[in-house]
Amino acid sequence: MNLSARMIAVLTSVGLLSGGFLSTVGLLTKERIALNKQKEIEEAILAVVPGTESSQKLYEEKDLSIYGGKDEDGNLLGFAIHASGVGFQDKITLMFGTNASLTRITNLTILDQKETPGLGAKITDRESFLKYWENKDCSQPLSLRKPPAISPEDLSSSEVNTITGATISSESVLNTVNLSLERLKRLKTEGKFAIEERNAN
Amino acid sequence: MTNKTFILQSSPHFKDKDSVPKIMYAVIFSLMPAAFASIYFFRLKAVVMLFSCVVVSLATEAIFLWLRKKPFHSLLDGSSVITGLILAMTLPPSLSLELAVIGAAAAIAIGKQVFGGLGHNIFNPALVGRAFLQTSFPVAMTTWIPPVTAKINTATYATPLANLKFEEAVAQGTLTPLKDLFWGNIGGCLGEASAITLLIGALYLLFRRVIDWRIPVGIMVSLSAFTGVFWLISPEKYASPLFHILSGGLMIGAFFMATDMVTSPISPLGSWIYALGIGLIVGLIRLFGGFPEGVMYSILFMNAFVPLLNRYARPQILGERSKR
Amino acid sequence: MPTKSIGEEFLKGFWKENPIFRQLLGMCPTLAVTNAMINGLAMGLATAFVLIFSSLVVSSIKKLIPSQVRIATYIVIIATFVTIADRFLAAFFPPISKNLGPYVPLIVVNCIILGRQEAFSSKNTVGRSLIDAFGMSLGFILGLLILSAIREILGFGTFFGFQVMGQWFKPWIIMILPPGAFITLGILLALALQIERKTKARR
Repeated sequence: MNLSARMIAVLTSVGLLSGGFLSTVGLLTKERIALNKQKEIEEAILAVVPGTESSQKLYEEKDLSIYGGKDEDGNLLGFAIHASGVGFQDKITLMFGTNASLTRITNLTILDQKETPGLGAKITDRESFLKYWENKDCSQPLSLRKPPAISPEDLSSSEVNTITGATISSESVLNTVNLSLERLKRLKTEGKFAIEERNAN
Repeated sequence: MTNKTFILQSSPHFKDKDSVPKIMYAVIFSLMPAAFASIYFFRLKAVVMLFSCVVVSLATEAIFLWLRKKPFHSLLDGSSVITGLILAMTLPPSLSLELAVIGAAAAIAIGKQVFGGLGHNIFNPALVGRAFLQTSFPVAMTTWIPPVTAKINTATYATPLANLKFEEAVAQGTLTPLKDLFWGNIGGCLGEASAITLLIGALYLLFRRVIDWRIPVGIMVSLSAFTGVFWLISPEKYASPLFHILSGGLMIGAFFMATDMVTSPISPLGSWIYALGIGLIVGLIRLFGGFPEGVMYSILFMNAFVPLLNRYARPQILGERSKR
Repeated sequence: MPTKSIGEEFLKGFWKENPIFRQLLGMCPTLAVTNAMINGLAMGLATAFVLIFSSLVVSSIKKLIPSQVRIATYIVIIATFVTIADRFLAAFFPPISKNLGPYVPLIVVNCIILGRQEAFSSKNTVGRSLIDAFGMSLGFILGLLILSAIREILGFGTFFGFQVMGQWFKPWIIMILPPGAFITLGILLALALQIERKTKARR
C-alpha cells in the first residue's frame, strides 16, 4: 500500500470508529440530558408558583418563555416567566412567578448569571436580594429603592431594594422583569393563551 | 594612559546631584499638605490609615529584602514610604484597618517586589495595592463617609462622582459645587478631600523638576477635551470639564501617580502619548463605564504601554537619519 | 530506550515533570476552573479520563499510524474521549457540567494530552504509556487541587465547600476571579522553582 492510501485508510477508519462510538454515547445520554434540563425548569416553576402540580408551556420567543402552573384539578395557579436580559457581565437568566390575574409577583429565582462574585452575584442570594421580590404588586412596573436596604415591611408594595454596590446588576434584573411582564400582559389581552379559555368555561 | 577605562552602561550618561532618596523625599514632602488636609477632614481615621499603610509597606519591603538576601539600606530610599502614603490616600476613610494592611502588603509584594524591586516594576505599586483591594472588597472600597467637618449626620455618603453617575446629579441640580471640590470638605478617598493641598505639593514638585509637567498637563487636556465635547453638546446631562478635573482621584493621580518615574515613559513624545491616553480613558470610564471613577484603571492600563512607548517614541539620536 | 524504572515513570508526573509546575502545560483549565476545589477536582478527573484512554489507544495503534497524519489521528482520538466525558458530565452531574462550562470541551486542546501522546505514548509500550498517563494525571490533579485550595480558602473562606475560616474573615474576592488565578499560579511557580533550585544545589 502506498503512503497516501495508508494515510487515508487510517484517518478514515479512526474517524469512522470514533463517529460510531460517539453516536452511541450521544444516544445513551440524550434523554438524560433533556430530562435534566426539564427538571431544572420544573423545579424553578415550582419555586416561583407554589403549589404547582403540573405545568404547561404557553408561549415562547427569544429570551422569553411563559409557563402556566396548574394545581391537581387543572386550575391555573399562575404564570412562570423564564426570561433573560443583559447584566453587568453577561446575560442574566431568571424565572419569576405571578398569580393568575397578573397583579402580583409571587417569587423570583435566578437561573444563570456570571455577575461579579461578591457583588453583582448577590442577585442569587435570597437574604440580600431575592426576598424583596416575594409577593410584590405588579399592576404597575416595579421600581428599585436606593441603598441602604430597608426591611421588606417598610418597602412600598411595588418597590425592591438595590444591592449595595451593584446597582447595574439590580437594575438589569428589574428591567428584565418589567419588560417581560409588560409583554406578558399584552399577550394575555391579545388572548394568546389557550389554557385560560378552557379554564374560563 | 594605563588607567584608561571605558564606562559601559546605558543612558542617561549625564549625572546631576539628584539621587533616588533625594527625589523620593521631595515627593514625600510634597504629599504633606494633602496628608494634613486629610487628617483635618477625617481626624484620627486618617492618622491611623496613613501610619499603618506606611509601616506595613516598610515591613513587607523588609521581609522581601531579607528573603531575597538584599541589603537593607534600600529600605531608606523612601520609595516604600511613598507607596504606603499614596496607597493610604487612595483608600476610603471608613475602610477597616485589616483591609488597609492587606492592601499595603499586596502593593509591595505583588506590585513591586515580584518584579525585582524598585526600578523593575511595570505598574505603580500603590495602584496595584488599591486595585487588589477594589477587586477583593468591592463594597468596603466604595462605602464612603462624610468628612468630620461637613455637618451631615448620615452613615454613608456618596462621592461627587458617584452622585454624578448614579443620581443624575446634573439634571437634579445636586452636583457638588466646584468651590467645595477645590477647597475640600467632600466625601471620597483620603487624598481626594481637597484639591488645593494637592496642587501646592504638585507645584513644589514641578518647581523642583521632580515630575514631568507634560504628564499632568496631557492628562488634563485630553480629559477636558473629551468631557468638554459632551458638556458643550448637552450641558443639562454632562458635568463640566472643570468638575471632572477637580473631582475624584484625578488630581492625585495626574500629579503623584501617573508621574511615578519608574512607570512612566522617558521620552517627551512618549509622555505625551501616555498622558493623553490616561485622560481619554478616565473620560471614557467616567462617562460610559460601569464605575463612577476610572483614574486607577486608566493609569494602570497606560503603565502597561510604557515599555512599548519607550521603545517606539525615542527621541532621534543626533546625526541619525530618519528611516522614512 | 527505556531507562527509567516503572516506579520512576509513575512518580515523575508528581514533581520532576509535573505538568503544571514543571512543564507549564494545560494552563487554560489550570487558570480558569480552579476557583473552587470541586471544580478543580472534576476538571482533573475529566482530564485524567481523557489522558489515560487516549494514551491507551495511541500506544496500542502507534505502529499503524503514518507519521504524516499522526497529529490529526491523535486529535480525533482525544476529541472522542473528550466528547464522551462532556456528555457523561452533562447527563449525570449537571451542576458540575454547568460550572465547568466550555472548559470540558476545551480539554481537546489541553497540551498535556497531546504532548504525552507525541512525546511518550507514540514511542513506548502500552504498559509504560498507561503508567505515564496515570502519573501525569495524578500530578495534574494534585496541581489543580493545590491551586484551587488556596483560591477557595482565600476567596470563599471554604475548603471543599466546608467553612474553614471564622466569621472575622472577609473573603478576598480577587482570588476567585481571573487575576487571583494568575497571582496564585505565579507565586506557586516561583516556589516550585526555588525548591527545585535548593534540591539541585544539595545534590
